[in-house]
Amino acid sequence: MGSPVRSVLVAGDGIVGWSAAAALRRKLPQLSVRVIPLEPPPDALADHMPGALPSIVEFQHDLGLTEADTVLRAGSALRLGTRFEGWAAGHDDYVHAYGEYGRPFGTASFHHHWIRAARGGEAAPFDAHSAAAVIGRAGRFALPDGPPDSPLANFTAGLAIHPPRYRELMRAYARHLGAVEQPGEIAAVELDETGAIAGLRLADGGVARADLYVDCTGPRALLRSKMDEDFEDWGRWLACDRLAFAEDAPPAELPTLDRATAAGAGWRFEIASAARATRGIVYSSAHADERAREGLGAPVKLRQGRRARAWRRNCIAIGDAAVAVEPLEWTNLHLAHSAIDRMIAMLPDTDFAEVELAEYNRQAGAEADRVRDFLALHYLVADRPEPFWREAAMVEPPASLAHTLSLFRERGRLPFYEEETFARDSWLAVLLGQGVLPRRTDPLIEVVPPGVSRETMARLRESIAAIVPRLSDQAAFLRQMAGQGAR
Amino acid sequence: MPDAGERLNVVVVGGGTAGWMTAAALAKLLPTRCNVHLVESEAIGIVGVGEATLPHIRAFNERLGIPEPEFMSRTRATFKLGIEFRHWGARGDSYIHPFGTFGTGQGEVDFHQYWLRCVHEGVPVLPLQELSTACTIARLNRFALPAADPARLDSTFAYAYQFDANRFAPYLRALAEGLGAKRTEGRIVDVHRNGETGDIEWVQLEDGQRIEGDLFVDCSGFVSLLIGRALGEPFQDWSKWLPCDRAVALPCRTETAVTPYTSAIAMDWGWRWRIPLQHRTGNGYVYSSAFVDDDTVTRALTEAIEGEPIAQPRILRFLAGRRERSWVNNCVAIGLAAGFLEPLESTSIYLIQQAITALLELFPERKISPLDRDEFNRIVDLEYDRVRDFLILHYHATTRSDTPFWDYVRTMEIPDSLAEKMELFRRRGRIVKYREGAFLDASWIAVYLGQRVMPQGHDPRADVPPVDQLARGINALHGEIRAVVERMPDHVAHIARYCPMAEAA
Repeated sequence: MGSPVRSVLVAGDGIVGWSAAAALRRKLPQLSVRVIPLEPPPDALADHMPGALPSIVEFQHDLGLTEADTVLRAGSALRLGTRFEGWAAGHDDYVHAYGEYGRPFGTASFHHHWIRAARGGEAAPFDAHSAAAVIGRAGRFALPDGPPDSPLANFTAGLAIHPPRYRELMRAYARHLGAVEQPGEIAAVELDETGAIAGLRLADGGVARADLYVDCTGPRALLRSKMDEDFEDWGRWLACDRLAFAEDAPPAELPTLDRATAAGAGWRFEIASAARATRGIVYSSAHADERAREGLGAPVKLRQGRRARAWRRNCIAIGDAAVAVEPLEWTNLHLAHSAIDRMIAMLPDTDFAEVELAEYNRQAGAEADRVRDFLALHYLVADRPEPFWREAAMVEPPASLAHTLSLFRERGRLPFYEEETFARDSWLAVLLGQGVLPRRTDPLIEVVPPGVSRETMARLRESIAAIVPRLSDQAAFLRQMAGQGAR
Repeated sequence: MPDAGERLNVVVVGGGTAGWMTAAALAKLLPTRCNVHLVESEAIGIVGVGEATLPHIRAFNERLGIPEPEFMSRTRATFKLGIEFRHWGARGDSYIHPFGTFGTGQGEVDFHQYWLRCVHEGVPVLPLQELSTACTIARLNRFALPAADPARLDSTFAYAYQFDANRFAPYLRALAEGLGAKRTEGRIVDVHRNGETGDIEWVQLEDGQRIEGDLFVDCSGFVSLLIGRALGEPFQDWSKWLPCDRAVALPCRTETAVTPYTSAIAMDWGWRWRIPLQHRTGNGYVYSSAFVDDDTVTRALTEAIEGEPIAQPRILRFLAGRRERSWVNNCVAIGLAAGFLEPLESTSIYLIQQAITALLELFPERKISPLDRDEFNRIVDLEYDRVRDFLILHYHATTRSDTPFWDYVRTMEIPDSLAEKMELFRRRGRIVKYREGAFLDASWIAVYLGQRVMPQGHDPRADVPPVDQLARGINALHGEIRAVVERMPDHVAHIARYCPMAEAA
């Protein structure tokens, strides 16, 4: 066993770097934490994209931040999910909200009842059974509330942040917690004879050293890439390699769902925080007409995939330095938060034993691979006529996704995987939303007659619909939140 | 349309615990999909030597609509909060593997990490066992049903049963037959397979009767009549890690306490179980025939048991391992026909239950999809493999060298998957976390610490609070646990009120 880690050097001046610094100081106050403020490049999406999954709220709470800080002061907005338009021909748009779709009844999960009804041609849209989706479509907002059997009890909200202001908040908070900013440019990363980082030679001639180096510098991974460049490329399944976006003033009425609209060779997004609206396009440069990005900023190149081992010796890559994916489903910042939490929970000693790092890399790798599967799913089960989409639908999926898809297509079953980011209902929202109907229904529901299923589903939809008119819109909700904060 | 009520004829071969659990579950939960026909021979008899279970069985019973007090009364069951292990890490040691957490079961950092920090800093702190509600209830011979509110200390445990397996199968038989399952008595003399597909078409009984089916469930026990003998599916032999291959069983009158836990007591050549039921105590000595002969073991068991024997000693033979695949062609093996792991952690019924659940969830059509079959095998293999590692840990994590048997298991090579888990625990008390499976964090922690695998370091987050404050909090928690448990009724008193057995017939 080595001596404990006492000092950490974080490289990165974006949301990810400062979040890592804040979390380290908050949970391990015995550590000295310094941050070298290297500006994140445009392809460090976790530092630049506005969408955040509900896990951001938990991450903030763990740090001791309140919604007054992260929403009101940082100009964020609350979001219940994403509305997908045009992904599958012949199917209406659908909502992927972060919550329960339907309620289990009888002897099997809800979706089997829905599938039976759909096969009989008489199902209401799947997302009509999700309170969060219905509330989002109506432009309203609510926080989960009520007893566990209420449709309002079982969903969570994510955020639409304004990245510059959110970064400013996190930087101020990290410094408040005792993280120290050490301005400088890295001239060279020096490795010792074992291949570990010996120190960072700075442009001013000084050398910065620490027990642990946390690389939050985006896909280029300025530190971690000096040790090896082993990278698993996901371009086969996630063929979009360009991102362009622009910002506008926020809309008068802040939506609680953002939009992801399929386009000729990729997809467009629209999302708004209280501070700024962002619209953009993610596309394949091999297929797209350059006019697709008219009115948007300079295109950013993406290379999707993950580092084979995020953590090696005394250097850990976090955020896009470890996993680089397009912003579909807004997983970039989520993966960064998850990596920060996991790093702290599994922090080894300065001997950085291989057995401990291997366990970190196993978990982080499994998590990233299932995120890859979930994103690739959107393309594999899409149905559009353009060459980009036809090619995407014909790709052989990764083995774990092939396993999921074959079991679902056959009998509506979703096999269990460890380290899954998205809940079963999220998978169902996309699969059923894009029209993947299993060949068989689950025999376990047959003890419930179809008429009883239909009535139960109808009652659930009615109870959800009845809630909506009582709810306020986002602006009113934020005003109310501000009022409570002021009291 | 395939779901227009296609009914399969399901033939269950064997009427022990596995057979009747399968038949009852199929008849109850898939009444529109199958006709259940069970074939058994009373001449063969069942292995059932008294069963200790895991808490998962409660979900199975609930799904089948089995009322707990009635079930416990009929099977003469007692409550089970865990397993006491004696003499495993070293002679004289004793610990309980509880069905519950250590500490309050809440908080971001695992409770045992704070405890480890105190130990590492030399601050006096009670044994971790004293900081578990489940262990405390067990040691004090109490019982009460767990509370639902997760903030309460008496919500931090689960429970299972110790029951008479010879009474469980008949109980399920009545249930299954009431739901329409058919039963035929007879010994199977031939298994007929389709020459082209290899599927089983019918089994033939001694009296010439043929029983046809679409799907055959092999619950024939060790003989593995269908999947082993007829289909020739290879057996993965795990005896190099789990060398015990025999047990001698000898029930006796209960002379000491009816404990709300099972005991597994390490012996010179293996270990012996003690399972207290309402009307008797089950005993057995599990050993390796490579190291000792049957007579020596039988003598040792006879001397060790607490009361007058109520049957002749019975010897069982087995081999640790599992079939390469549990579902082959149209034959699904469940229970001992699929594999065997010694009863050290009471996993036999758990493994049966997991296989039944997988079969229900992957119930096939007449033309069986390989997707259903492969997924079933994936699930079942994972369960067996994880339980295997957990069992090996008990033998390997020992300081005992008093007999060649203990020398062998202490020094044997272990699977890489287990070696990594042990190394992670040794370094910093880390548990490889799964969200599903038979044994989660607290189980591994209990066995590691109970068998003297002491981590060198701990989670650095446990260094944050002042150590004397931690020690005070831990000792105060012990007092709170005691206070909660001392309000609970005595185990036997609780049974007498809740589920007393009917007078012996």
